[in-house]
Amino acid sequence: MISRWIVGIAFFLHASPTYRHLKKFAFNLLENPNYPYKKFFDYTMMLLIAISVYILIRHVKHEVNQDWLFFNNYVISFIFLIEYLLRFWVYSDNSKVIIEQYEHDLFLQRPFKLWNVLHNIFMTKMSFVFSLPAIIDLLAIMPFFHEMRLLRVFILFRVFKLFRYAKSLQQFVSILSSKKFEILTLGVFASVIIIVSSVLIYVMEANNPDSPINTLFEAVYWSVVTIFTVGYGDFVPVTTEGRTVGMAIIVAGIAVISFATSIVVSAFTEKLDEIKEDKMIDDVSKFNQFYLICGYGPLSSQVAHRFLKDGKQVVILENDHKKVAEAQKDGLVALTCDPASLHSYHALRIDFNTQVIAAILLEESDVLNVYTALTIRELSKKVQMLSILLHQENRRKLSLAGINEIVYTQELIGLMSKEVSGRPVAFEVIHALRSENSGVFIKEIVLDSIMAEQFFETSKLSMFHKRLIMLGIYKQSSQSFFFNPSNTLIIEAGDVAIVVGTRSLIDEFKALVRRKKRL
Amino acid sequence: MSYQSAIVFGFNEYAKQIAMQIAPEYLSFAIFVMTESERLAAKAAGFEVALFDLGEDWKLIEEQFDPSSLIVFCALDKDAENVFLTISLRSIFEELPIIALAGDHESAAKMKSAGANKVMATQQITANIITEMLEKPTVTEVLHDILYEESFLKIAQITVPENSFLVGKHLHEIDWGEEFDVLVLAIVDHQLSATFSFTSKGHHHHIDPDDILVVVGYEDSISALSEAMGVVKWAK
Repeated sequence: MISRWIVGIAFFLHASPTYRHLKKFAFNLLENPNYPYKKFFDYTMMLLIAISVYILIRHVKHEVNQDWLFFNNYVISFIFLIEYLLRFWVYSDNSKVIIEQYEHDLFLQRPFKLWNVLHNIFMTKMSFVFSLPAIIDLLAIMPFFHEMRLLRVFILFRVFKLFRYAKSLQQFVSILSSKKFEILTLGVFASVIIIVSSVLIYVMEANNPDSPINTLFEAVYWSVVTIFTVGYGDFVPVTTEGRTVGMAIIVAGIAVISFATSIVVSAFTEKLDEIKEDKMIDDVSKFNQFYLICGYGPLSSQVAHRFLKDGKQVVILENDHKKVAEAQKDGLVALTCDPASLHSYHALRIDFNTQVIAAILLEESDVLNVYTALTIRELSKKVQMLSILLHQENRRKLSLAGINEIVYTQELIGLMSKEVSGRPVAFEVIHALRSENSGVFIKEIVLDSIMAEQFFETSKLSMFHKRLIMLGIYKQSSQSFFFNPSNTLIIEAGDVAIVVGTRSLIDEFKALVRRKKRL
Repeated sequence: MSYQSAIVFGFNEYAKQIAMQIAPEYLSFAIFVMTESERLAAKAAGFEVALFDLGEDWKLIEEQFDPSSLIVFCALDKDAENVFLTISLRSIFEELPIIALAGDHESAAKMKSAGANKVMATQQITANIITEMLEKPTVTEVLHDILYEESFLKIAQITVPENSFLVGKHLHEIDWGEEFDVLVLAIVDHQLSATFSFTSKGHHHHIDPDDILVVVGYEDSISALSEAMGVVKWAK
């Protein structure tokens, strides 16, 4: 009877959109670093921690307002309690565990074993309760019982909670945890030295009435202070034997410190690239819009720099570490990952539909470009893709892979050669316009309704009439180009004007054609 | 200057495309290659082909072509070979128009120094096209149509004859769009320099005989303008 009741609830919760939505929201807020609102939650919690610690320090020698004490002891503790319970809730999905076990038993035609399920759920939840971060969370709530003065120091555990909210602190812990074995070895080494030296100094000094070291605790204290090269000088050996032990311990202390330093330094050195890469991934996930270039070489470098010159963001994905280092040295945002792997895009958290203006495939192989194109198409059906084509016979394969624009440089050079030999000056003019190095630009201006209405009137102004070349209007409705348009042409919103002129003149025209009507 | 003959050096993908585009434009056309395999490939593609080496004294060219109406395209595989070929040709033929391919900026500069009249830096051209296609798709389409497609809209360069009605006038005195339905993009001022100036940058040019106007317009309009200027033939 109870089993059926529990299974029923599990199914109900599993199917309830409100419940799932709530749980997902709580999970995102507490655990998902990619959730945009998590940072606000983290900052709030950090602020509460800072207030708590400030009140603790202030309260040592000053009176603290009762309202603040109430806020600290009850409100903050209550918020932390709620957070703890939420973390406990989202740690595992009980309804899913129950349903899976129920369906498993049903499939095997055996009675539902409620006890097994409850045991599994209990064990899972206990693994949360006994995890270090959860213990710290729980201890941070303890000051709630503020009447017990000793428990006040538990407020300091709230500081440890910062590890939950500050990513850099998490990184620090993860870097050190990569050197667990070395740290353990160091710990054992230091402990052995402390034990041996404490016993030795106690034996040598404790019976001497002139010696300040009279107890084993004082011997241990002296050993720790000496080994870690602090040397307060409040306890010093007075016997020759004791001083001999002291000299040996000072030398051993230097070894301990060197060992510890080298562990920390090597851990950071080893992880430095990883940290930088993580930082870059974070930065990329915050980019609003960018061009994604797959593959890095001299061509990618030129394309990227041209986009950067136009004020566009560019992200380069490349599998080869050396090429990535080269790109980074060149001032570009480049990440080491395989552009043809789905896993790469999941790890990078790139949203093709909102972030990527276009994916540009510049690998030095048609095979790789097709493979990358298919990977990207799997993630987004609509993102624009452009690829270079290296061998003419592969053109159709690139089209089939979903690439929208194909650039076959060899063919382009062939066409240009014809131009160069037939109309060298005309070619130079067009090439200069395209390369944008001559100070004169060819630009397209997408017209909105106001600009469309004012277009001819503005273009006939004396400042533009002779100096801004109005090459033509591309009409979206008929998908056709009208060269040197006369004012009988009806211009609509969405049409594109193609103009040739200096940047300042084009900018002035754009500003005026927009502004005029509004005046 | 119109040329009667053309030579393409090399037979890689670039050279093949160049050959395919320009061969029909010249009375005589040949491909010069360095290896037997290239020779066979070019022959199989239907081109007249000859073998050469970089130490050539170029008697071969003088025997087959008139160097005064010849244009050459250097499209060997390696930039270093192209530079060497260019300098080698220039040392013999001072006036020969040489168009060379270069991978990057650095090689392009070297080819210019070696004496090439025009260098096409393939990476730069590709990068320009890629960014233009994505940032200015309409411009790309329109320019492509004007330059390469058989559309009615053309770009042309017209040399101003001595007795043309334009001689002595300023560029801005004429409303080109209104009067001739053409747009003048640039002008090569024969007296000032051999390079062009964009009309958008400075339109106070005084038109002299032998200046070259770079105009865009429909074929008929350009023909009408040429006729009015007294030009017999304009470069399409």
